[in-house]
Amino acid sequence: MVHQFKNNGYNILLDVNSGAIHVVDDVVYDVVLLWESLSQKEILDKLRDRYQEEELSEAIEEVASLVDGGELFTKDEYKDYVMDFKKRPTVVKALCLHIAHDCNLACKYCFAEEGEYHGRRALMSFEVGKAALDFLIENSGSRRNLEVDFFGGEPTLNFQVVKDLVAYGREQEKIHNKNFRFTLTTNGVLLNEEIMEFANKEMANVVLSIDGRKEVNDYMRPFPGGAGSYDVIIPKFQKFAESRNQKNYYVRGTFTHHNLDFSKDVLHLADLGFQQISVEPVVAEETESYAIKEEDLPRLLKEYDILAAEMAKRREQGNPFTFFHFMIDLEGGPCVAKRLSGCGSGTEYLAVTPWGDLYPCHQFVGKEDFCMGNVKTGIVRTDIQDEFKSCNVYAKEKCRECFARFYCSGGCAANSYNFHGDIHSAYSIGCEMEKKRVECAIMLKAAEAFSDSEVK
Amino acid sequence: MKHVKTLNTKRLQNTLKKGGCAVGNQTCEQSK
Repeated sequence: MVHQFKNNGYNILLDVNSGAIHVVDDVVYDVVLLWESLSQKEILDKLRDRYQEEELSEAIEEVASLVDGGELFTKDEYKDYVMDFKKRPTVVKALCLHIAHDCNLACKYCFAEEGEYHGRRALMSFEVGKAALDFLIENSGSRRNLEVDFFGGEPTLNFQVVKDLVAYGREQEKIHNKNFRFTLTTNGVLLNEEIMEFANKEMANVVLSIDGRKEVNDYMRPFPGGAGSYDVIIPKFQKFAESRNQKNYYVRGTFTHHNLDFSKDVLHLADLGFQQISVEPVVAEETESYAIKEEDLPRLLKEYDILAAEMAKRREQGNPFTFFHFMIDLEGGPCVAKRLSGCGSGTEYLAVTPWGDLYPCHQFVGKEDFCMGNVKTGIVRTDIQDEFKSCNVYAKEKCRECFARFYCSGGCAANSYNFHGDIHSAYSIGCEMEKKRVECAIMLKAAEAFSDSEVK
Repeated sequence: MKHVKTLNTKRLQNTLKKGGCAVGNQTCEQSK
């Protein structure tokens, strides 16, 4: 399977099953379009009026050489392999600790509903957090690197427990030969010198929530009284990002139906000096006024193209920034097994509520049917674990033939469940955006490699 | 090649034996 597309002036071929990516001229692009339906002689005859015979022959020869080399029209031989891979025993690699089911903002789109997750306000106690870290150590097998996200709600509302748990983790990692990688997500309202200093010492990554332009952010991310949060958090986030040398953080926003021109929000954040940026589509019931609707897609896909072209331009001008969804690793990326088996939710990654209950991931918290056990009792609903384990690209009809399957890995189980009542499906609007993002990410790699090339 | 520039050398089929780590931008632990 070959996916071919044009973006920002580049002709790009993605050989889906090998991962080979080729930037080609018009003649090869047209030859490849006909490759599977016509013989080489028929291709020559069909394109003769458009190209010189000599260049057509060269192009056909080069395409044939790529096919022979396993770099074009490579067959999919992974289905049985991934089924075997999914039967392997897994260990727990990461926990998302819901350190606070409470929040000091009242963001309109929050799936946690002001931090409460469809339940009651609560803060995780040190005892529950400690039991969670013990559970992780005990269930991680021989794996050394373990990840713990401090999440909410707003984690800084319970910051003493965050600090105590980090200290406990550092103590335990020496005893058990483990290495904890802690991360923190915050809305920034309570950020101060002490928290920044602690985070810079202990947090491998921090995620700073802001949506972009002031009017966009303040419309969706107000305080409970209605006042906007932008002016409170921007100076703190700028200082925080600088204090981390513009590394190991993301400013992370959400775009909605109300700001379909979200590329302006990304560029606004870049113009404020942030170099690590993620602005992501809201996922919400169609009945919500801010939900992304199918008719929004053409506009949104165009926005991704606008953003990618601007990023290529800024990179060329020596002023680059990173956009989370346009990051792609073409050389060191993961193996087929990882690419096809998904994110790890429900098996390698679990969310822990303030009471210690275990869920497949933070987006399932509050859906009682998905409660898998407790940090003190361990996983008792192994049937849920098995269901998530069987959730891979080939188990999803929509994904089997999708060109983006090795970059998307089957999408988000929670989104699939929320829209289709089944984790083995895929959220169509999300799929269309992901496909465009993969194309843009590849185009940016092409721009990087060929900024002065004759192939464009 | 005159008409084709290939951007990467990693081939997924070559990861079958050794494979099996805000997926596409992830870096394999073995390749670090």
